[in-house]
Amino acid sequence: MPRHLLLIGLLTFIGTSIIVIGVISGVYKDFILNSSSDNSNTVISRSNNSDSSIGGHTPGYPIGDTSGTVIDPIEQVVDSQDSVVDPEKYLHEFNYGRVSTLPNGTTLREFTLVASDQLVKEVSPGVSYNVWTFNGTVPGPTIRATEGDIVRINFVNNGSMPHSLHTHGIHPAEMDGVFEMISPRGKFTYEFVAEPFGVFPYHCHMTPLEEHIAHGLYGVYIVDPKTPRPPADEMVMVMNGYDTDFDTENNFYTVNGIPYYYMHHPIQIEKDKPVRIYLVNMLEFDPLNNLHLHANMFNYYPSGTNLQPDELTDIVSLNQAERGIMEFEYKYPGKYMFHAHKTEFAEKGWMGTFFVNDKSTTTQNSSRIDNSPFYDTLNNSFVTRAPETDGGRL
Amino acid sequence: MLSGDKNAKAGKHITQKAPMILAFIPIVVLAAMIIFLLSPYGQSLINTGIPLPQVTIEKVEFHENQILAFIRNTGPLEVVVSQADVNDRIQSAAVEPSSEIPRLGEAKVMIPFPWIPGTPYEIGITTSDGTRFSKSVEAAALAPSPDANQALLFTSLGVYVGVIPVMIGLMWYPYIRRISIGKYSFFLSLTAGLLVFLGIDALLEVNEIVNQNLAAVFNGQALSVLVTISSFVVLLYTSERLTQRAIERAVLNQNSHSLTSSSSVKELVKKPEKTFTQKQEGEIYSKSAKVSSSSSTQEVQIQMQRYQQLLKPLTISMMIAIGIGLHNFGEGLAIGAAMLLGEVALSTFLIVGFTLHNTTEGLAIVAPIAKIERSRRMMIRRLVMMGLIAGVPTIAGTWIGGFLYSPIAAVIFLSVGAGAIFQVVYSLISWISHHQKSGPSSSTFLSGHVIAGFITGLLIMYLTGLFV
Repeated sequence: MPRHLLLIGLLTFIGTSIIVIGVISGVYKDFILNSSSDNSNTVISRSNNSDSSIGGHTPGYPIGDTSGTVIDPIEQVVDSQDSVVDPEKYLHEFNYGRVSTLPNGTTLREFTLVASDQLVKEVSPGVSYNVWTFNGTVPGPTIRATEGDIVRINFVNNGSMPHSLHTHGIHPAEMDGVFEMISPRGKFTYEFVAEPFGVFPYHCHMTPLEEHIAHGLYGVYIVDPKTPRPPADEMVMVMNGYDTDFDTENNFYTVNGIPYYYMHHPIQIEKDKPVRIYLVNMLEFDPLNNLHLHANMFNYYPSGTNLQPDELTDIVSLNQAERGIMEFEYKYPGKYMFHAHKTEFAEKGWMGTFFVNDKSTTTQNSSRIDNSPFYDTLNNSFVTRAPETDGGRL
Repeated sequence: MLSGDKNAKAGKHITQKAPMILAFIPIVVLAAMIIFLLSPYGQSLINTGIPLPQVTIEKVEFHENQILAFIRNTGPLEVVVSQADVNDRIQSAAVEPSSEIPRLGEAKVMIPFPWIPGTPYEIGITTSDGTRFSKSVEAAALAPSPDANQALLFTSLGVYVGVIPVMIGLMWYPYIRRISIGKYSFFLSLTAGLLVFLGIDALLEVNEIVNQNLAAVFNGQALSVLVTISSFVVLLYTSERLTQRAIERAVLNQNSHSLTSSSSVKELVKKPEKTFTQKQEGEIYSKSAKVSSSSSTQEVQIQMQRYQQLLKPLTISMMIAIGIGLHNFGEGLAIGAAMLLGEVALSTFLIVGFTLHNTTEGLAIVAPIAKIERSRRMMIRRLVMMGLIAGVPTIAGTWIGGFLYSPIAAVIFLSVGAGAIFQVVYSLISWISHHQKSGPSSSTFLSGHVIAGFITGLLIMYLTGLFV
């Protein structure tokens, strides 16, 4: 009779050993089958197998290899069809409107802005979000006029809720877009004299205000002085964020709508050639945003309302809707970063690079992402290879 | 009437042959309804809300220069993982096997990251609609990798924590063998107290895992209840059945020459089967005696009773050993997982705590068999075997917990253990009550010895548990 008890014991033992053997063989199999990816756990150099590699944007940062899907907004490009904006195009695009001259000789500039709140667009690689837009992009188109021009904006509400257009600057009360809501399918014509010269934001002013602005209903309005500023490589930069999970905290921070865009598409500029940036902060939820330019100093004109710079600096901090003009030129060729010095924003997408070309020595390199060090220690000289611009990609 | 007759015949025909078809009718209707509900038409009828994605990060591991997050899609829809972050800062990452995860599917997110040991981290996953899911880790620690060194470490840990303490506990055998009946029931009930504590402890542990690591979609608490009750019932049935068969065989072997037919013995054995566990043996004896008056069957019954006396405690001990083995397997899982998840810095103090705690488990095994008359050599062999059954699963537990931790497996194992322990407690209580009644001093189950023993058992477990 003790045999039966022995049997129970034996069975328990067999059961346990089966489990143990199963575990060992499972682990072993896992290890053998996935040896390539398992090894890569600790390998800090690129392997030559067919797996894609991840990481490695910063020298010395760990790199991994994978047979799976790489998710990497720092290297990956947003799908051109669904992208919320083309930052390459947006950077240099200034809309001067349909120009005509009134009998009294004043210039009339006519623009059309269509508000919409139904679009779902890709705001970061693989992440879609219901954006509310002017003319289908976040930020909306940059409107530009000269001081004294008549600006006429034909506003169309193509959305499902009331919207309006509130422009910063000087204008009559009824042109302020606050108390006159434009219903869905409604139209309104805003008309005012462009004054004073400077850089201004425009945005929807319907309530809940935070919602309308945070979803993307904003853009830049530039008024040039009657005597134009000196010629320069001009660009517009809007700092914004996206709260894609509606917890009143931004999940993404960007300059010109797509996180990290100018990391994989450096802004091409020329050595010793003046650059002028119209910078506007449209960030919601966070009280302060800033821009820090690497290895250089810039003249800063707060609100762009003065022709004399306020200071020479390498960082400017802006509160909500604050803006200004930056002017600088690079002395040395190479790749330079610019980003929010609030590092949280930087590491959630608000960073980019300038690539300064030296026309006399420029050679083109075909690699899109330049992972080489900025300074070639072997030749004791700066690496001047320029990544392909890839302008037509988006 | 002729037509009525026909109807009646037809009716009869139906009752004989149709049930199979009838059984399928509701299934066919049900299938039709499900197809309708799943069709676009049905979906437009019932889909009033917006289904939201849900991703659970089940486990975060820290490897050299890399963080691994094991995630599961626990929502109603397929999800696409679009971004990973560490402390809410976006990182380059990869999702294996694919960033598209079907419902209840799993994926591994690899994030190359120069993490710092001992630092808290929050790992986040953002799906394609911009929703972020995160999991916090109190202190990053290098995950054990399944190599020989780690396996050896886990094994020795399992031996220290599981096997050795149980073996030490078994050394109480000679002492308990010699004590009075009163003291003996104290120790039996002490064992019951220890086990009740262990069982409740296991269920609390399950609850903790369910709350911390298991996705809500698995309904962990209900699963735990289901597994606990099932294991209780199945083990109860198994142990009763094993005792029964052992007695049967023993009696048959002893009397094969004196009895003409074995079926009569079987019948005899079967009849009092149900009463054995709960009723006093004297009653059984008298009842059985009424069934047959022949001297040979009476002989059989007396023998049966003797084997019953002998085998019942052995079975209880064995079931205790198995129950504790399952419990220790769960304990091993917890230790291994804690090391893997970096939640615990293993210290000598912790091992001392587990050792103290588990020594009492050896006592639990020893108590029921201490009073049986057996040859010492056989007893020692049996004791060692039961000690191993109780202790060795700890080793397997540490391996599985450390190398292949899965919260759902942990919930199932711990619940099986809890069910096993409660089954043992049940057998033990019926054994104590039997022992009390046959004893000379007291006639009730709840004697002072029993109550004192039970509470002492609970207290010992609580106090030694403080060290862990």
